Amino acid sequence: MKKLLEIALGIVTSIGGFLDVGAIATAAEAGSAFGFHLIWAIILGTICVICLVEMSGRLAAVSQHTLADAVRERFGFNFYILPLVAEIIVDFLILGAEIGGVCIALQLVTGISFQWWALPVAFAIWLLLWKGTFGLIENGISVLGLVTLVFVVATFKLHPALPDVAEGLLPIVPQQDTTHYLFIAVAILGALISPYLFYFYSSGAVEDKWDAGYLGVNRAVAGLGMGFGSIVSLGVLIVAAQVLQPRGIQVDSYEQAALMLTQPFGYWGFILFAASLGIACFGAALEVTLDTAYITAQAFGWNWGENLHPREAARFSFVYTVFVFLASLLMVVGIDPLQLTLFSMALTAVILPIAILPFLVLMNDRQYVGEHRNGWLSNSVVIFTIALSFVLAIVAIPLEILGG
Amino acid sequence: MDVIRDVLDNQIVDRNQRKMGKVDGIVIELRDGQPPRLAYLETGATTLAQRLHPRLARWVAAVERQWGAKNSEPYRIPWSKIRNIGIDVEVDVDAEQTSALAYEQWLREQVIKRIPGGS
Repeated sequence: MKKLLEIALGIVTSIGGFLDVGAIATAAEAGSAFGFHLIWAIILGTICVICLVEMSGRLAAVSQHTLADAVRERFGFNFYILPLVAEIIVDFLILGAEIGGVCIALQLVTGISFQWWALPVAFAIWLLLWKGTFGLIENGISVLGLVTLVFVVATFKLHPALPDVAEGLLPIVPQQDTTHYLFIAVAILGALISPYLFYFYSSGAVEDKWDAGYLGVNRAVAGLGMGFGSIVSLGVLIVAAQVLQPRGIQVDSYEQAALMLTQPFGYWGFILFAASLGIACFGAALEVTLDTAYITAQAFGWNWGENLHPREAARFSFVYTVFVFLASLLMVVGIDPLQLTLFSMALTAVILPIAILPFLVLMNDRQYVGEHRNGWLSNSVVIFTIALSFVLAIVAIPLEILGG
Repeated sequence: MDVIRDVLDNQIVDRNQRKMGKVDGIVIELRDGQPPRLAYLETGATTLAQRLHPRLARWVAAVERQWGAKNSEPYRIPWSKIRNIGIDVEVDVDAEQTSALAYEQWLREQVIKRIPGGS
């Protein structure tokens, strides 16, 4: 019974964790520009991310060590410093974008420019981390994330033509706007397969004191949670395709994206969009902030844990305190949140290979995962994802310049 | 046991399971006419920086001498104090009493405790 409750909570959390500024922005952009044609990218990204999240949870549950710990120990610090520095840079930009998402949501509702909201939002994030526990952040905030299911409801209200949706499952590259199409595909994959999820999830498993008895919970949470999360992403894409594309509205800013729910829900659609964006981004901002503190503390063997009082993990608490306020400055100076989002998603794609490569070694190392090591199927998925990540890493920046 | 693979860069925990840094270096003693002996574990920013680049190590040492909470000597744990080497390295000391946590303690007293809710 307790495990069932944990699975249910975990699934809710994963929906919240899956959906962030990147997933919403890239899906909205894809739907408004190319209709249903990029559905395959969301499905592909979801399959990869489910497998990798399951593995980072399994690694943590069996070995009691987080992914970052294991990479540092097994590959040595001189390797780990590469994904560490890369991830901190990407986290910094993503956190700026997530804070931007919350600020835009507040701007949509109040009319006060997003720049003014950046510091108050950063303060709210910090206060929750400073005072809250992991359970509060994991469960409290993510329950609110269920508001994003409004995109799924809207999808049903709009009655999309099923044959057209099914056609989007096939990766067909259009003749026109090819580079833009490919850029959005890369950004979607970058938004879904984000390394911070793996580091965060495995640290969360250690915070929640998972052991080998939780492997079933882990599988259910990773599979169903991320699966539901991707259904919401698909909802965003389909709604954007149904509402924005026929009117020739391309998502150049979040204000335009906010119109997509007004057709099914009228004025309330506008509010619901703002609420979904704000809550999803706020939840993700908490995760990215914590993730940075996790990977930094774990790099040097410091005491860490959101369940510890700040004085028991002084360096850990200090890292997230400084980081969240620094990242909010990106919004204070007025960088466009949507541009920052798309740019950070492309950059995520660039750092993917060094973040994913260690999975292949760690998930086959008996010292860490014992008898629960990868079978041939899981290993094939990892190898495929590594190959995919290399392709993404090479094409991301050229496509950004040509088609972004 | 493979010293580089299984010990270097692993987590060090004290006798109360408190995390106190990681194995940044391993000191081996060369003895005349006898096989070399594992002498100490080292943990500290200068040792770690030394492994990345000697110039970085000099720079870290200079910064620590100037502003650091302790001198730039890394903390050494004699091999005889090691209780257990699994994935973690467990040592028979009390972390709070060592210089390994000097920065943690400085930050706790000077910064964290002064923020409301931090004490």
